[in-house]
Amino acid sequence: MKVSFYLNDVLVNYDVNPNEYLSHTLRSHGVKSIKIGCNESTCGSCTLLVDDKPAMSCSILTAQIEGKHITTVEGIQEEAAKISYYFSEEGADQCGFCNVGYALVIYALKRELKNPTDEEINDYIVGNLCRCSGLQSQMNAIKRYLKED
Amino acid sequence: MRANEYYRASSLEDAYSKLQEDPKNVLLAGGLWIKKMGQSYNALIDLSTLGLNKISETKEEVIVGSMVTERDFENSPLIKSLYGDAISFATREVMGVNFRNLATIGGSIMGRYPFSDVITGLLPYDVTLHFYPEQEMKLEEFLLFRGKINAILVDIRIKKHVGKGFFKKVKTTALDFPIVNIAVSEVNDKYTIVVGARPMVAAIAHKASDYINSISSPSRDDFVKAAEIATEELQFLDNKDASKEYRIDLARVYIRRGLEEVSK
Amino acid sequence: MIIDKKKMRVVNQKTHSVDGKGLMQGRSFYTDDLADQNSLVIKILRSPHAFAHIKNIDVSKAKALNGVALVLTYKDVPHVSFSRAGQGYPEPSPHDKFILDEYVRYVGDEVAMVAAINEEIAEDALKLIEVEYEVLEPVLDFEKAVDNPSIIHPEDGIKEMFPIGFEPKRNIAAAYEMQVGNVEEELKKCDVVVDGTFYSQAQAHAMIEPHSSNARLDEHNRLVIYSSTQTPFHMRRIMATTLGMPVSQIRFIKPRVGGGFGGKQAFHGEFFCALTTLRTGRPSKMVYTREEVFGASYTRHPMRINMKIGAMKDGTIKAIDCRSLSDTGAYGEHSLTVFMIVGSKVLPLYNKVNAVRFGGEVVYTNHVSAGAYRGYGAIQGNYALESTIDILAEKLGINPRILREKNSMKEKETSPIFEIMGEGTKGTAMIMESCKLPYCIKRGAELIGWEENWPRKVISDTKVRGYGMAIAMQGSGIPFMDMGSASIKLNDGGSYMVTVGATDIGQGSDTIISQIVAEELQTTVDKILIYSSDTDLTPFDCGAYASSTTYISGNAAWNAAQKMRARLIKEAAGYLEVKESTVEFDGEVFTSGDKKVSLNDLSVLWLYNKDQHQVSVTESYIGHVSPPPFMAAYAEVEVDLETGEYEVLNYVTVTDCGTTINPMLARGQVEGGIVQGLGMACFEDVKYDKKGNLLSNNFLNYHIPTHKEIHKLTSEFADSYEPTGPFGAKSVGEIGIDTPPAVICNAIYNATGVRVHTLPITPEKILKGLKELKK
Repeated sequence: MKVSFYLNDVLVNYDVNPNEYLSHTLRSHGVKSIKIGCNESTCGSCTLLVDDKPAMSCSILTAQIEGKHITTVEGIQEEAAKISYYFSEEGADQCGFCNVGYALVIYALKRELKNPTDEEINDYIVGNLCRCSGLQSQMNAIKRYLKED
Repeated sequence: MRANEYYRASSLEDAYSKLQEDPKNVLLAGGLWIKKMGQSYNALIDLSTLGLNKISETKEEVIVGSMVTERDFENSPLIKSLYGDAISFATREVMGVNFRNLATIGGSIMGRYPFSDVITGLLPYDVTLHFYPEQEMKLEEFLLFRGKINAILVDIRIKKHVGKGFFKKVKTTALDFPIVNIAVSEVNDKYTIVVGARPMVAAIAHKASDYINSISSPSRDDFVKAAEIATEELQFLDNKDASKEYRIDLARVYIRRGLEEVSK
Repeated sequence: MIIDKKKMRVVNQKTHSVDGKGLMQGRSFYTDDLADQNSLVIKILRSPHAFAHIKNIDVSKAKALNGVALVLTYKDVPHVSFSRAGQGYPEPSPHDKFILDEYVRYVGDEVAMVAAINEEIAEDALKLIEVEYEVLEPVLDFEKAVDNPSIIHPEDGIKEMFPIGFEPKRNIAAAYEMQVGNVEEELKKCDVVVDGTFYSQAQAHAMIEPHSSNARLDEHNRLVIYSSTQTPFHMRRIMATTLGMPVSQIRFIKPRVGGGFGGKQAFHGEFFCALTTLRTGRPSKMVYTREEVFGASYTRHPMRINMKIGAMKDGTIKAIDCRSLSDTGAYGEHSLTVFMIVGSKVLPLYNKVNAVRFGGEVVYTNHVSAGAYRGYGAIQGNYALESTIDILAEKLGINPRILREKNSMKEKETSPIFEIMGEGTKGTAMIMESCKLPYCIKRGAELIGWEENWPRKVISDTKVRGYGMAIAMQGSGIPFMDMGSASIKLNDGGSYMVTVGATDIGQGSDTIISQIVAEELQTTVDKILIYSSDTDLTPFDCGAYASSTTYISGNAAWNAAQKMRARLIKEAAGYLEVKESTVEFDGEVFTSGDKKVSLNDLSVLWLYNKDQHQVSVTESYIGHVSPPPFMAAYAEVEVDLETGEYEVLNYVTVTDCGTTINPMLARGQVEGGIVQGLGMACFEDVKYDKKGNLLSNNFLNYHIPTHKEIHKLTSEFADSYEPTGPFGAKSVGEIGIDTPPAVICNAIYNATGVRVHTLPITPEKILKGLKELKK
């Protein structure tokens, strides 16, 4: 079946199977920045933005996003670089496999919540697992990024 | 998960007739559980274009479309205004934001999942389910109903009474299913005690609720007694996450704490 | 060589990760990103039984399915036993595994392999394979494994490479005994003897990138394998031996790796990719599902450890007796070495004893195989030892901090254990040239407010805060065994290409090595181009394990950088026509008197204009000692006395890892280790049902710490310099994980009076203990 949607503001039209998931469709079209950690909506590494809201692409059927706007990290390169700066500053860099998912969630968080509390930040990012870091460093990095104008 | 067809329903009637066509046709809400189960279907029936993703209100009720996501539900000012924000608190405990932007209220309820926080959070209140074809059921009635519901959930309607609520999910980590969850409400001077994930789907502890409602100004001891009655009337079981005994211990403590909190 | 830290410009300074920005921006260099688009997809049929013999297997229907390219069973693969462990040669692990076998030894063990043009067809083909099993009685209780009527490895053709106590007919994969002095006699003389038995559970690595590999043939028809591995060179060797191929025909490439923690030291899908590509000529790939990551890779070795400690009334510890039993699951990867570390990297902490004994067995069961996992025996041993030290302190009426200060390792001291116990073999004697453990203990106590707060603070009728501590040590690589090497090549423009076999798996070794090289060559990290690791292009390295990379590979890189510096000065002197000894080099310009030339100019000249040649060097390093990093850790926990629920409010660590090459990455290693250790201490648990089916096979049923469980980590480093390390560095990769089980156990005890002897320390166990105390 044909599905049309906006990938980082560009209208694309893909031929997909009815049971095909968005993470698979995008990776098979070369968007390898999407990382599949669990493929069962529990780790958050495949997160992207659907109409600006973070969602796990492993569990969205491609057919479900007809007409919607999808943002991957390719669509927020400058913001990803800024987030990366604070990750490095705070010692949150490790294997990087979860980082793209984090970048998209953190970017969405900044746009959705104004002056969030620590609890609100935690609530927003808790769906993204990281096994390498102590997690506190990401939190510190996020707070610094949020303060940036 | 396997499927032969993706069917965008044009109306509730259309969705319903498609559903009747083949026992292997299935309604698609958020799609999370369908993915998890990994079974084979004929047609996936997409309800997303039927306008079921809205939250509205009447004088007496807040009406939540079945395709409203858990995230939109918890963020809705209408939901937050109910019972001191007790209902949205339950939803916020479900996985992360990137999950709740996909999961729908309809999907959460229709699955009657034993681990549901959404159901436990709603059950103490006056909640009615509206189906297509035209049919109504109270949430409790729906949970007790045995058998397949051959209808499409259109919306749920939550009565706007004045009251307070308490919700507690006992869990290992934030991304865990509940070991047990407890909701307690005080609405129009009446208490309702609910315990879910025992590990079965939420149920109202009627005897315990009646007991505490029979006392004009209940003391801490009465709350302790009510909690004990609740754990006796409801069934608790072992599973790998906790023993039956521990679930009972937790339920007793949190029912009492919930009653104390809503009675303030 | 001792370098003044104040003069360091790159090392020990804040330096951003060399790959951090690119990875955050989604540059795609993980294994599966690099698979050929036309790869055959490999899927494995896995055993539904914990123990069974395959009587018949019919794959004809699967083979006939359109789109299936290859189906393999045990009949189709070389019958050569090997160890998947991914260790040096000869391995201290038994060769007890075949690529495919007629026996299956745990639920999830490999029965058959399918390669097909896509995932759906491969999955459909698996369903068409007909298997007739003779179901055998499994061994699921590791305390009943020895001499059990069910023998898990009855087959011929399995072997130990040198004596490790391998007795497969008794279900024993390895065994070990050692004693210094006479423990029995010393214990008799002690005023106080305490003992405790502690059970530690299996833990899952749960790295976020699943085990991935893919294969293709290059234009020379050589086999090229991309693998998310910690040990590309060991893999090349083991694969060549097992498949009967020359090493020269295999190339292993390790791209970015999404976390390892020991879980990617061993083989996973690599053999299946290799066989598929060799037999079909087509590229192939295999990515573990999350269920396979949990159910068909490795776990930490579950153990039972009995710790007996004898002391005098004044708090002098005289003897330690440690007896252990370890469960290696279906196969014996790392069975002996993990086991020995329970003793060798734990017991020397209290080095003033007159006698110490350690021993026991590592047994086979029909569980998922256990293997290498960060901490590697040390965390299990630390839980038992450091919990028992607190029991002793209470019995003696001595503050446990003081008891530890009095008896623990100090600088310039040693332990006889170092010489006796190595990694599966004899060890290496060494003196602690750097040991700031006393400072770590003291500083940590200040940070947690030990004197004011220990043992507990009552917050309300239902809330109590408890305070606990533990100390730990690790090692830095395996002496005289594991080697690292580095090559440096000068590019035109004055940048350096550094190629290392050191395996960056996310711990940041590419950044660390870049800093070391930049420091020595007095340049900046942006002038260092680093590439790791590829068996064709980079020099040899044993791989990322045993806390070795910064110390071993870092020393190799440092050696290479020193050699490059000397070479550059020599060649610059030739160009300037001056004596070598008169040339100064500041990283950019060579100066001798009033003559000068820039590195930039020379680098261009040497390639294009004059005496054209490539300037390059290669150096290696082999450790002669394994200097341990040390740590003191403290925690504050708040317990709900009505439910047993608790939160770790603050976890304080002070670490002596020598010089922190990259202070932020060092903190990342410590804190990442702590959080994994807290997971193990508090709730992570690999669970099976009564038939041996894994219950904890996804992130909903196996819980790793999330942002909401971690409240506060306070991490400091001691000022320390290890003279044998690169710029004074020791390892820091594993030490962080060692303390949490004992610290939390001690803190919970101090809060509640309940000592939990079985990990994880769950609220349910605490509440049960509280109820028993009330009786």
